[in-house]
Amino acid sequence: MLKTRIIPTLLFKNVGLVKGKEFDSGRRVGAALQSIRVYNLREVDELVFLDIAATPSGARPDFREIDELADNCFMPMTVGGGVKSLDDIRDLLAVGADKVAINSAAVETPELVRAGANEFGSQCIVVSIDVRHGADGKAEVFTHCGTRSTGRDAVSWAKRVEELGAGEILLTSIERDGMMAGYDVELVRDVAAAVNVPVIASGGCGNYGHMASVLANTRASALAAASIFHFTEQTPREAKRHLAGLGHRVRLAT
Amino acid sequence: MIRFCSRCLYPDSKPDLWFDARGVCSACIGFEQRKEVDWEERRREFIAVTDRYRSKGGSNYDCVVPVSGGKDSTYQVVRLLQEGLNPLCVTAMTDSLSEIGRRNLENISKLGVDHIEITLNPVVRRRINRLALTEIGDISWPEHVAIFTVPVRIATQLRVPMLVWGENSQNEYGGPAAAQENNVLDRRWLEEFGGLLGLRVSDLVGLGGITGRDLIQYSYPSDNDLKSTGITGIFLGYYFPWDGYQNALIAQGYGFETLPTMVEGSLANYENLDNYQTGIHDYFKYLKFGFGRATDIANNHIRRGRLSREDAVSMVKRHDGKFPWTYLGRSIAEILREIDMTVDEFMAVCDRFTNKRLFKADNRGKPVRDREGNLVPVFELK
Amino acid sequence: MSAVVTAGLTVVVDYGLCNVDSMVRALEECGAREVERTRDPRLVARADRIVLPGVGTFAAAMRNLREWHLLDVIREASARGNVPFLGACLGMQLMATRGTEGGASGETEGIGLVSGDVVRLEPTELNERLPHIGWNEVDARVDSALFAGLSAGSDFYFVHSYHLRLSQTADEAARTPYCGGFTAAIEARDKPVFGTQFHPEKSQRNGFALIRNFLAV
Repeated sequence: MLKTRIIPTLLFKNVGLVKGKEFDSGRRVGAALQSIRVYNLREVDELVFLDIAATPSGARPDFREIDELADNCFMPMTVGGGVKSLDDIRDLLAVGADKVAINSAAVETPELVRAGANEFGSQCIVVSIDVRHGADGKAEVFTHCGTRSTGRDAVSWAKRVEELGAGEILLTSIERDGMMAGYDVELVRDVAAAVNVPVIASGGCGNYGHMASVLANTRASALAAASIFHFTEQTPREAKRHLAGLGHRVRLAT
Repeated sequence: MIRFCSRCLYPDSKPDLWFDARGVCSACIGFEQRKEVDWEERRREFIAVTDRYRSKGGSNYDCVVPVSGGKDSTYQVVRLLQEGLNPLCVTAMTDSLSEIGRRNLENISKLGVDHIEITLNPVVRRRINRLALTEIGDISWPEHVAIFTVPVRIATQLRVPMLVWGENSQNEYGGPAAAQENNVLDRRWLEEFGGLLGLRVSDLVGLGGITGRDLIQYSYPSDNDLKSTGITGIFLGYYFPWDGYQNALIAQGYGFETLPTMVEGSLANYENLDNYQTGIHDYFKYLKFGFGRATDIANNHIRRGRLSREDAVSMVKRHDGKFPWTYLGRSIAEILREIDMTVDEFMAVCDRFTNKRLFKADNRGKPVRDREGNLVPVFELK
Repeated sequence: MSAVVTAGLTVVVDYGLCNVDSMVRALEECGAREVERTRDPRLVARADRIVLPGVGTFAAAMRNLREWHLLDVIREASARGNVPFLGACLGMQLMATRGTEGGASGETEGIGLVSGDVVRLEPTELNERLPHIGWNEVDARVDSALFAGLSAGSDFYFVHSYHLRLSQTADEAARTPYCGGFTAAIEARDKPVFGTQFHPEKSQRNGFALIRNFLAV
């Protein structure tokens, strides 16, 4: 059986890693390389690495930085941040990304998703969707690190990017981000029910019980988390032991 | 590019630091706020809290005090004795103890206290030192763990319900506001702020022949054990004004020994004297984040009005982040021999962890070194 | 890291669509002494071992192999019969007779080292999502050289939507139970041609054990 993946998320900004709350990424948490090497030791299932400064500043991805990190990374790695063109995707794959995450550019030029899937295959095109609930309760898609509203509804946008050829959806709840009070289970449930590509739930994980709750109530394929691994004694390995104990299918590295 | 605090010299590349709209860092803001503190009131709080936890009837110690033998722990012991407490001093032996460090540890006992020293299996320790250096760029990682776990274990085993730590490092060095306000130290604090860089003790099992039974002293007691003893950890720095320089003066008055010259890469002769590996630890902070120990010390003086920012800038430029050819007079080759590493291997590890957005690199991404072996920053401290 | 050092030139063919570095690093980590990533047909022609890594679409990869004159030297090397091949993911699929991904006409000719077609996976159960991404178990033939020493049902990392449907099951080395079961690895009976649908270079300990087995062929 295919295993549920536990995926640490690393957010990179200017000179190092950050982790904040509700997309306010003020808090620096250290250097990228040391984190990647820790996760190597742990043989984690996958890593997500997002350069959150790239899109707001209009920069291309920092290929040299990612090349170096990828050279130290013995896990599958999804890289995002500032991806705007086929060349960006090609160059990221060339320096060592296994999958490329597209967020703002997917909203601005949906054709990029289609072209990327045609050239490199759906399996390496991840569309990252950041969602915040409006006053009316609508789950709305935001871009540019959560600063720009799009008016789009999360479920219909997820379906749209699947049609365009996205091979996976990284679904992040903006208001849950960094709060460590649990995933937005309803949002994950709705999106995962609407599409047939794998969905990675992200935003809000504070303990293993939060992970279990997503698996019990949604069809998510993977669980991303950051604060829990930065700030507490909880590790991906222990998370998987906990989930295995509840009967979920996870990979327990020997 | 990085920016610096408008009052002190911290860069915004420093973990757990934030800046306000004026460009003042959280460490300076935290210090400002402490000027408002009513220290008389805090002292009353201290008496109240220690009265609650101290031994009734004198059959046990009043508290456990973790001591390294440095200026701060000497001051802590002096202060606790003055307050009439009967502390048990506990030392988790440092990585590579210096001669002056040994003398300062002996001095602590002579203050008139019982003292337990725990030396952790040096064969395993060297392996962890090496592994932590190559994998997360921090040779001192096992020390950061053991100085927390060992005293907590002793307190639990001897059923002494109070631990008195020194300063809350989130105070002097910035950190989230809630953490600065915090006056207790629990496991979550250790994992979040203890400088463990995301590496957990459980990660070590299976690496380089390390097994669970090698890591007993590095493991935190179970939540149940902690609960049954009802252990509380308090920061002395919350109850009494904290100033490293003042602590050093007081400690010297009680027999603490300093060096005749400044420590390499530092601006002081009164701290970080006990462990030969500290120079490597501080150097890695510099190559990852662009500031080293000299910056820390200069900032402490700036905040207390003992050094102008301008003078501090030129001193820090002179001393910070120099390649640690020697530390406490011992050569890097000799220090590295203990962890079975050559200088060339060490250089390669340095290159790997050097932040290429902060330091000049050649067109293949390899950091450039000047004739003295020092990195060339692409930022300017000013 | 590895105690065993493997001599001879190992060539990782760079057909311009994917990351070749991680495969190069994995081979080096597993003891291959001389590893070259290349798109130079002359270097491929004198390789002692040829690795086809893989991300991209079938049609785009074949287009580049052809345009860069790599296709013929790969076929010639295989015809010599003494050059071991390892294809990973798309790299294994390219070894097939035909592919159906990404081509304008729907079908693209493959390298043709093994007989079979590359077709899309079709879900057979409710929660079988595509692409097939993540860690899944692999059940290998007991006499497989690639999987020697690996426990039955070891997990490997997959990321794909297509699979290789072999004409001769004798060439199959392993299967994975997803979408009704598909060929997870091939090991030709009559020549040193190996392939994995998963990414051994990303499969940590298990993947490296498999790469060491390949290098020992």
